[in-house]
Amino acid sequence: MRAVVILANPNPGSFSHAITARVERGLMAAGYEVVVHDLCAEGFRAELSPDEHLAYETDRPVLDPLVQAHIDDVLSAQALVFVYPTWWSSMPAVLKGWLERVMVPGVGFVLDDRRRVRPGLGHVRRLVGVSTYGSPWPYVKAINDNGRRTICRALRMSTGWRTRTSWLALYGMDTLSDAERLTFLDRVEAKARAL
Amino acid sequence: MVFCHPRRDSLCGAAYDRVLAGLASAGHEVRSCDLYADGFEPVLSLADREAHLVDHRVDPTRRPEIDRYVTDLTWCEALVLVYPTWWAGQPAMLKGWFDRVLVQGVAWELPPGANRLSPLLRNVRRIVAVTTHGSPKRTNALEGETGKRIVTRSIRLLCNVRCRTTWLACYGVDRLSAEGRTAFLDRVERKLSRL
Repeated sequence: MRAVVILANPNPGSFSHAITARVERGLMAAGYEVVVHDLCAEGFRAELSPDEHLAYETDRPVLDPLVQAHIDDVLSAQALVFVYPTWWSSMPAVLKGWLERVMVPGVGFVLDDRRRVRPGLGHVRRLVGVSTYGSPWPYVKAINDNGRRTICRALRMSTGWRTRTSWLALYGMDTLSDAERLTFLDRVEAKARAL
Repeated sequence: MVFCHPRRDSLCGAAYDRVLAGLASAGHEVRSCDLYADGFEPVLSLADREAHLVDHRVDPTRRPEIDRYVTDLTWCEALVLVYPTWWAGQPAMLKGWFDRVLVQGVAWELPPGANRLSPLLRNVRRIVAVTTHGSPKRTNALEGETGKRIVTRSIRLLCNVRCRTTWLACYGVDRLSAEGRTAFLDRVERKLSRL
């Protein structure tokens, strides 16, 4: 089984990177073959360019070889894991751009004969999100946790009926102690191990 | 007002023209930007991340590339966003604009020891979102309407306490008739001329 981990944090020394290392360790222990993509380190471009927008509805929507490499990984994966810090109640722009540029027609979804949108990620069994929040839990809930919804609802609609989603969140992280953060890392690894 | 679409000849581009016409007929002074035409860089870099920790008012010359947007944000009384909805939310370009421009000392401040932001954009009394959705409204509702909630909750909370939000959306653009298109554009201009 293969798992793709998408990491979106510009700081190489970030807590998200520590989470990713633990996710990778857990998944490997669970028998997954793991591919990690650090979007910022790879220099992944966030915005859908005008040319890509024109190409979007044609037979060849992918213009960038880096995007094609990501697509190849996604198409062979049974699990997709997203690790990112929540900014303005949603994912960083580079991850939002990843969805727009990688989940193109023929990958994230397909259009049938009547041009209806049909799921394209039937092979993905698990969708997992791990995110850190500056805000405490009640505040995140009041604002709606839009990043979680984007993955667990919008992207979930592109997967199969049996796909399960999991969400691991660290709330109010600026005011937590180091021990609490370490506990969270252990929880992440345990979860990945049980995937 | 902020315009975000890779192509000017799109429905969003037409809506942008009608927004400008509506605002002009109401006699408002308008400063606008087109993120794609500006070549705005949506990815928050490591340098940005470090600069985020410093109050913008302490060192306003630190980030010349966002200067213009910051000046306009602190000048305006109404913020108008025109964008297409992709994967239920704002395009990465616009999300990146939020990530990079809504900085400490401009949009918010964090009192010592707190993990809730206090708003600083008290000059903004109105937010208008003009957006197009490829899918019908019920699909967007299932996807969690994340774009709407980022605007009406997350961004709204940085503005004046009495700030009102207006949502002007066109759903099911993929199957829209010419009449539907005209009706949407007329509605945009009518609403904006009464702002």
